[in-house]
Amino acid sequence: MNLSINGRAVAADVAGATTLLELLRDTLALTGTKRACDIGECGACTVLVDGRPIYACLTLAHACEGQAIRTIEGLGAPGAPHALQEAFVAEDAAQCGFCTPGQLMAAAALLAANADPSDAEVIAALSGNLCRCGTYPKIVRAVRRAAATLRSSADV
Amino acid sequence: MSDAPRSGGAKGRFVTTTVEVEGRTEQRVVELPAFEPEPWGVDARLTHVGARATRTDGALKATGHPGYTTDVRRANQAYAAIVRAIVPRGRITALDLSAARAFPGVLDVLVAADVPARTRLFGAEITYTGQPIAAVCATTQEIADAAARLVHAAVESLPFAVTVEQALEGGAVRPKIENNLVGGKPIVLERGDVAAALAAAEVTITREVRTPCVLHSAMEPHCAVAEWDGDRLTVWESTQGIYRVRDNVAKALGIPLTDVRVICEAMGGGFGAKNYAGAHTYIAAIFARRLGRAVACVVDRTGEQIDTGNRPSSWQRITLGATRDGRLTAIDLEARIPIGIGGFEGGPGAIYHELYACPNVRTRETSAFVNTAAMAAFRAPGHAEGSVGLEIAMNALALELGIDPLALRMRNIAMRDQKKDRPYTGNRLAECYEEGARRIGWHGREASKAAAGPRGEHLKRGYGVAAQVWSTGGGPPCYCNIRFNNDGTADVMAGSQDLGTGTRTILAQVAAEALGHRLDGVRAVIGDTASAPFAGNSWGSMTVASLAPAVRMAAEDARRSLLEAAAGLLGVAPTDLETRDGRVTVRDTDRSMTFGEVTAKLGNVMIQGQGSRGPNPQDAGIVTTGAQFAEVEVDTETGVVRVLRVVAVHDAGRIVNPTLAESQLEGGIIQGLGFALFEERRLDARSGLPLNVGLHEYKVPTHADMPVIDGHFLDGADPKANHVGVRGIAEPAIIPTAPAIAGAVADALGVEVNELPMTPWRVLAALRGD
Repeated sequence: MNLSINGRAVAADVAGATTLLELLRDTLALTGTKRACDIGECGACTVLVDGRPIYACLTLAHACEGQAIRTIEGLGAPGAPHALQEAFVAEDAAQCGFCTPGQLMAAAALLAANADPSDAEVIAALSGNLCRCGTYPKIVRAVRRAAATLRSSADV
Repeated sequence: MSDAPRSGGAKGRFVTTTVEVEGRTEQRVVELPAFEPEPWGVDARLTHVGARATRTDGALKATGHPGYTTDVRRANQAYAAIVRAIVPRGRITALDLSAARAFPGVLDVLVAADVPARTRLFGAEITYTGQPIAAVCATTQEIADAAARLVHAAVESLPFAVTVEQALEGGAVRPKIENNLVGGKPIVLERGDVAAALAAAEVTITREVRTPCVLHSAMEPHCAVAEWDGDRLTVWESTQGIYRVRDNVAKALGIPLTDVRVICEAMGGGFGAKNYAGAHTYIAAIFARRLGRAVACVVDRTGEQIDTGNRPSSWQRITLGATRDGRLTAIDLEARIPIGIGGFEGGPGAIYHELYACPNVRTRETSAFVNTAAMAAFRAPGHAEGSVGLEIAMNALALELGIDPLALRMRNIAMRDQKKDRPYTGNRLAECYEEGARRIGWHGREASKAAAGPRGEHLKRGYGVAAQVWSTGGGPPCYCNIRFNNDGTADVMAGSQDLGTGTRTILAQVAAEALGHRLDGVRAVIGDTASAPFAGNSWGSMTVASLAPAVRMAAEDARRSLLEAAAGLLGVAPTDLETRDGRVTVRDTDRSMTFGEVTAKLGNVMIQGQGSRGPNPQDAGIVTTGAQFAEVEVDTETGVVRVLRVVAVHDAGRIVNPTLAESQLEGGIIQGLGFALFEERRLDARSGLPLNVGLHEYKVPTHADMPVIDGHFLDGADPKANHVGVRGIAEPAIIPTAPAIAGAVADALGVEVNELPMTPWRVLAALRGD
């Protein structure tokens, strides 16, 4: 099958039952996307498929034929972070950090659709992403901080 | 502690003392440090300690940190899956592995006969649902999972007990324990004379309270990757204690400690459930040896929820006696706790002896083994449950006496460590109450309720308060080595690990402070038994109080050597020098060298420092105290409780990093909110089976459930506790949350809901008077 991952064309030989999460983590070694439940209950594996946030553990790889996948590795890297990633660090929005990539990808989808979300809109967009350390309040602050940064840089 | 001499005395370096470990007393050998720095007092002017530094691994975590155990990908790595029992008790009469073995891609299968007895894996006796009975290893996780489902066990079901009542009636739990009771009998602790005090009390109240069995539910499941190189084993483990896992593995497999290395670079949450090696660890190690390749064993989510530990449920009956003017004269607790098939007695009783000043206290705890998965410490084990019962009873007493619940608490603050009859190094609980009351608007709450206005007759607002106490002194043994590289950077090496609390960052801040370095010139090297000396588990809110003094001492030691070297280079005495921002300066001059310039001149002569943790003072208890306040709105038509606001004020000594401390405080409050409102492992008493094994059915809090949280630590330091002036915060954070919410719900409704979680169903039942 063929698909695009973080802007790069990928051709892979994938079994029919393979999930997108298995393709990313086990075949392509893109381990930034985390596997926490593997049954669609926690949101840790959230990635973007053509801009929409989805649970990679519930998505068959073959269902993504020809589509553009964006993972945490495609959002930014430690040396070249996305505004959301900078804001998560600045607001201390990650404790153990295991749910963080999923939270960030859900937030990236939100900001692509809504440049100035309210707290309630952030909460609604991220409520499919569980965090057990209890970083929720700081995640909401971080997403709004990133939104403000992106808006001000868009104004320039 | 019975004895805490400082070095230089006649007793020598290694002394035996009595130490307190989570309420239990043990005799231990303690090594006295070669020197102890002067304490950083309350007014010490510090640069890095107390600063809001961002997490040193924050950027990694925000970009998909590759260092978690579940992310380890060794060459030719294979994957294991665990086969689990699906009845609470029984005997395996036949185990058919043929279909699993024949499944394409399966490499190996393990049953009881294949494993060392000390691993206590598998076996023919089933004593709880979820117990591992076999394991399968395959080339991929998917194949291993599929093949595990093909293992067929013929099981003769046997009678079981999953409640304390069933266990006490003689329900067979496991053959070796006659009466099913932990310790063989109820544990009774009494000071004073409770019966006489209750008989003489001007006022008494009694309440019955139930708390649920709740599950740690860390996002990263328990997991291990094992790889052998000849006789040497490396284990990557998601753990709160790399050294303890090393001990467990070496003993279970019968191999020398020097042949075992345990690594935990990053880990996705523990909360008390990841303190030891587990079945997954031994399964990975044994498969890896048999197959000659690396093997990962990641517990799946169902296994994580049913077999990696829990906070056991409790039933508590509390009777309080008091004078008319609100002084406690008697506290009596009867409690029953089903702890599962294993674990320890860490029941709700302890906080009853500590939180309030009272001369007569009796707790009688009946902890029973039952046929469910073993409990494990879960953030403030015992205290989180006990505070619910004690604080609900205090609210009932306040109502009975016609005294404000906060005023009643202020009247009964325990200013001494009543368990040991000694003072505390510090306890500013009164200030916590006052500051919290100010922040939530406690004294104007009736006006706030009225002003909240006519959103509907069915919406009722209420306020509650609760307090906490928890021993947070940390202690020895615990070591740190610091070494300068010849570019002037310093590595701070300790056998600790970072659960997400920020240990790496905290250690770097303390080291940078004591060295006079820049924060970015210092790196904490933790999470690897091969690179650092011993540090204990990250549990019991002990990490910072244990490690920070050892790190500071190592840094002072290294700094002394650095100054001696620099003094020679600058032609002055070491005492003429000071350090700041990674620079050595001759005092009152502009002559200076950077650390890098000094170490470069030394070539490969290495500047090093060693630090260790000395004993705590024996003449005072070390605790963190605090108060939390909750504001709730309850919908009396639907029974839904919404927490609007939580204010938390704690006295935790010196705060090394306020941002990280607030993060942990918020985390504890949010877990406490789940305990109060949503979380409950349900068991079917007739079949003994857990009913809600996933994160859909077992409800942890989500973004949508968040109140406004105002978390605050009192400024200050506790130089009597240790020379950094720090205490712990992780567990204090969760203790008062649920009882504060319960108090607020009762205030809103005018009726109590004395069983957690306060689900809509229970709220409506309480309103109906059921």
